[in-house]
Amino acid sequence: MSKRLPPRAGEWLKRDKPISFYFEGQKYQAYEGDTISSALWAAGEQVLGRSFKYHRPRGVLSLANHDVNVMLADGTDTNMRGDVLPVQDGMQLTVVNTDGGVKKDKKRFIDAISSLLPVGFYYKAFHTPRSLFPFWENIIRKSAGLGVVNFNYPRELKRKLHTHCDLLIIGAGPTGLTAALMAAPHGVNILVVDENAQAGGSLSYDNGGSDEAAKRLAELLSELGKYPNVTIRTGAYAAGYYTDHLIPIVETTGITKVRAKAVIVASGAFEQPPVFRNNDLPGVMLATAAQRLLARYAAKPCENAVVFAANKQGYRAAMDLLDAGVSVKAIVDLRADGEPCSLVAAVKSRGVNIYNGSCVYEVLPAANKFGVKGVVICSYDEASAKPLLHDRFTLECDGVIMSAGWAPAAALLYQAGTGMRYEKSAEQFVPAKLPVGMFAAGKVNGIFDLAQRLQDGARAASEALTYLGKQVPSVTVDREYIGSPSHPYPMVEHPEGKNFVDFDEDISIKDFVHAAQEGFDNIELMKRFTTVGMGPSQGKHSNMNAIRILARIRQLPVERIGTTTARPFFHPTPIGHLAGRGLHPHRLTSLHGWHEAHGAEFTDVGVWKRPAWYRRAGLEKQQAIYEEALAVRKAAGMIDVGTLGRLEVRGPDAAEFLERFYTGTFKSQKIGRTRYALLLDEAGVMVDDGIACRIAEDYFYITASTTNAAAVYREMQRWLQIWQLDVGLVNVTGAYGGINLAGPAARGILSKLTVRPLDDASLPFGAVCDTEIAGVPTRLIRVGFVSDLAFEMHVPAGSAQHVWNALLEHGAAEGLRPFGTDTQRLLRLEMGNHLIGQDTDGLTQPFEAGSEGAIQFDKPFFIGQRSLQIIARKPLNKRLVPFTLSQGYQGETINECNLVIGADGNIKGRITSIAFSPSAGCHIGFAYVDPANTDEGAAFNIRTDSGSLVMARVAATPFVQLQSEA
Amino acid sequence: MTFIQTSPVSHAQHHAHPVMGSLNGMEIALEFDSPQIQQAYAALAGIAEFSAFTRFGIKGAGAAEWLQAKGISLPSAANSWLMQDSTLVLRLGNSEYLLEDQFIAGHASALAQDSAPVGAKLYPVARSDAALVLSGQHALAILAEACALDIAAELAQPQRLLMTQVAGISVTVLKQTLNGESVYRLWCDGTYGAYLWHELSTMAQEFGGGPVGLSFYFK
Repeated sequence: MSKRLPPRAGEWLKRDKPISFYFEGQKYQAYEGDTISSALWAAGEQVLGRSFKYHRPRGVLSLANHDVNVMLADGTDTNMRGDVLPVQDGMQLTVVNTDGGVKKDKKRFIDAISSLLPVGFYYKAFHTPRSLFPFWENIIRKSAGLGVVNFNYPRELKRKLHTHCDLLIIGAGPTGLTAALMAAPHGVNILVVDENAQAGGSLSYDNGGSDEAAKRLAELLSELGKYPNVTIRTGAYAAGYYTDHLIPIVETTGITKVRAKAVIVASGAFEQPPVFRNNDLPGVMLATAAQRLLARYAAKPCENAVVFAANKQGYRAAMDLLDAGVSVKAIVDLRADGEPCSLVAAVKSRGVNIYNGSCVYEVLPAANKFGVKGVVICSYDEASAKPLLHDRFTLECDGVIMSAGWAPAAALLYQAGTGMRYEKSAEQFVPAKLPVGMFAAGKVNGIFDLAQRLQDGARAASEALTYLGKQVPSVTVDREYIGSPSHPYPMVEHPEGKNFVDFDEDISIKDFVHAAQEGFDNIELMKRFTTVGMGPSQGKHSNMNAIRILARIRQLPVERIGTTTARPFFHPTPIGHLAGRGLHPHRLTSLHGWHEAHGAEFTDVGVWKRPAWYRRAGLEKQQAIYEEALAVRKAAGMIDVGTLGRLEVRGPDAAEFLERFYTGTFKSQKIGRTRYALLLDEAGVMVDDGIACRIAEDYFYITASTTNAAAVYREMQRWLQIWQLDVGLVNVTGAYGGINLAGPAARGILSKLTVRPLDDASLPFGAVCDTEIAGVPTRLIRVGFVSDLAFEMHVPAGSAQHVWNALLEHGAAEGLRPFGTDTQRLLRLEMGNHLIGQDTDGLTQPFEAGSEGAIQFDKPFFIGQRSLQIIARKPLNKRLVPFTLSQGYQGETINECNLVIGADGNIKGRITSIAFSPSAGCHIGFAYVDPANTDEGAAFNIRTDSGSLVMARVAATPFVQLQSEA
Repeated sequence: MTFIQTSPVSHAQHHAHPVMGSLNGMEIALEFDSPQIQQAYAALAGIAEFSAFTRFGIKGAGAAEWLQAKGISLPSAANSWLMQDSTLVLRLGNSEYLLEDQFIAGHASALAQDSAPVGAKLYPVARSDAALVLSGQHALAILAEACALDIAAELAQPQRLLMTQVAGISVTVLKQTLNGESVYRLWCDGTYGAYLWHELSTMAQEFGGGPVGLSFYFK
């Protein structure tokens, strides 16, 4: 039966735009402006979803983005919230978390056996025997979770924008709009955001039998429309608070990160359900949900209603129901003294019976629990919170409208570090101490009367303007309550349970009692045991009741229980929104295009894209790498090292600076020579290494590893600030390209492109000079990382391609080939050079890596020196050694991180590098082993992935013959 | 030996097949499309590359005095710029300067060709910047996505420059009038040039804009 009402003033429907959609295979009509839930409800459909655990039928609860049992899928999207998502023409909707459809869900039997499945049952029931746990886990896994992830979900761009304003107002209800109107004339840039589709908040639905709210809303919006400095964004929720008033605003189109100078939180409050048996049935809903249905969507919540109230809101809803033609059978008021406001007389005058000091003991379900057929009413003792059954009676109805209190929508206030206190007269947590630049107003501030809320909005605006440096008069608000807006304990016990506190996870009162009996009687522990507040609504309608129940169990005041943490984001936010455009900054050398055109397979090295190896027709990856390596050993190879960190240290104290920064000595270093530079942190851990080239007395040119260059430069800057030496630092990493030419033919090739003598006498190993290669000004360094005959050329970045091409042209006949980083790793291993970050980890100190030779302890100071002095007095636990496997080893593959096992069966270390060397003809590598077992030829065992042991022997390095010995 | 340098952005431009030309020894994109289309792009959201301009960088406590002795006028405050003749003079922080000639040789070229600066607390800074220009009515909208700062407010003051992050990388930004239109000039490390070009041009295309060649600004 249709529940749609004739057109109503202020409704959100566009009656001239009818649409149709499908729900569970059936076609429905709606209007543009309907949400999915309102459209279905208006069409007479009450069963909109199933509960997560017991698969109980559920309908409308809040109609305020908290109806987490009405989750829908439309083929592409899943877990769409029906209560707020606008229905669209042609939608094909199905309910998630059902097996066989929402009406015939096969898992509804779980409700019948719910007494066997209390919270935490799986912790105990399936714990033993342990062997069966995977079986049960599999079943539980499949039962848990909502919706089905669509791995083919199309990537839609959701922009993440930045914007700035003077004043951000969260909430476009009466308080927020009033605050905006008060602030607007002062010329500040104001942004008002609200998660609802239209502005107005409670003014758009909470009429209470009069048109005052609608008039007020029209006035506010009309006035605000005159100010171009005020922007109102609806359908936009403030998702979290971050330092410096950074607040992400989430909309369908993406996220806007707002940085505001001041923030007014006028986010209102979540209506809280009273707890009684079957309070979850379709047809039982919050008073504000009923009012939203009536005012925004012109749909009757029911035909015959019973209102279960413990505050004024219930009476306001009753008036709205009566005005819409709903028969209100009774108002059941939990309070012995009833409602003090004038609405009582108004309601009574329209023939409604009021039962003070009474409760709805239980709701009687209609067939299949698809609705309500009546309620059982009885007296209620507020002091003991017990229903008194002696006078119980049954009243027929098809809807229960409930209103017992509120919880502040204070998530952002908590995240901002607001100190909260419990305001007893409002039975609510309210802000006690707000962070600088933040202001709270309205219901979230514990103020409920409409006139007072408007005043509070003006007060918050005044304080915010003063904070922004404006001269404005102060505004005071008298916090007066004619009856508390929230009941201190709106719970009705029932021996058969099903009096739900948390609708997300089907948690009822007895679950809290059991949790406390188990010892989980702290709110954070209770949350985890019962899972209250851990569902999709994150406790917005359950946390406050949970706190009240725990306070009652422990006989403590509510404020002593405290609240759980409210973390961002405020609502579940699609991952696509969080990802945004997906910016991944990366650096390319000026040779990147050449690499790409010549078959390079790229790898990420820090923020750089580097060629790992080059594809060759007919060769697999490993074979291609071997060929590249053999070219370096037999002819020549070259690699793009434009990614290396390049740092200039200049000034009179340059050598002194390096002596303190690195472990070696540099004051005695000759101009034109290089030295190994090892960097430790203050704990003595190896951080990075490179070479220091002395270009002039007061000028060093330093290289750092590709991945650490930025960090090394940052550390240099930090230490320079501390030491205050006369030094200038310049990071020239990106300014230069780099090419490393290695192999027996390297000298011959290079000599064709420069007049600079390259023989060992003129340019010995470790020398550096400035010269020209192929006409390009070049810093030329004799290095030995991948070969003992290698030249590293550092040239202006834009000229690197020219030099590269010239080398290829003049080296092709001699077998010159490019090689990538995978080959480079093999080549350096053959040379016996360990790699920081590969052969060391975040704890490795030089004694373990065998790098003592790079440390000059007799210096007055270097970073990490004091730690090394302490470490040196302790026994060594492991030592990095080069090793080989037996010639012709064909056994199981040994991987990096396979463990080294001692004779006693204990772990002694691990493999850090291993590869087959075509030049050495065997597997070679580095491993940490027992320090007592490091002599050349000493054997040790490696445990493979399968658990078998393979013997290796400590070897000498280099693993290949040096060019100088050839 | 003469040779042509590659632009730090060129790798990201090849697929658009621009008309290339040489400026200051660097191959640079002169035109991406017809003048009418480039005009439309520039008006909506245009992205152009200016990397080929000659630059000279220097830092250190002695830099200001040294530059002034060479006849260079310097911005009085940190993070600001001025135009001297045809050379942009950027003051990056308290004691670091970047000079960039605009299309024709100027002070930067003269200093770059001179012998290396010598003096106390004087450190030359080798530059290999990717230099971009963002134009059009949607330029601020693009920067609102790419940059966390309020660019419009930060650059409201004439001659001010920002050193900030755009699309996640360090960038120097200033607002300048070119051919009568306000544009945003951006400089970043050249190795990030292709990345930044790709991201900004993608955003520009979403606003109906696109790449614009250097010749659009300098005939």
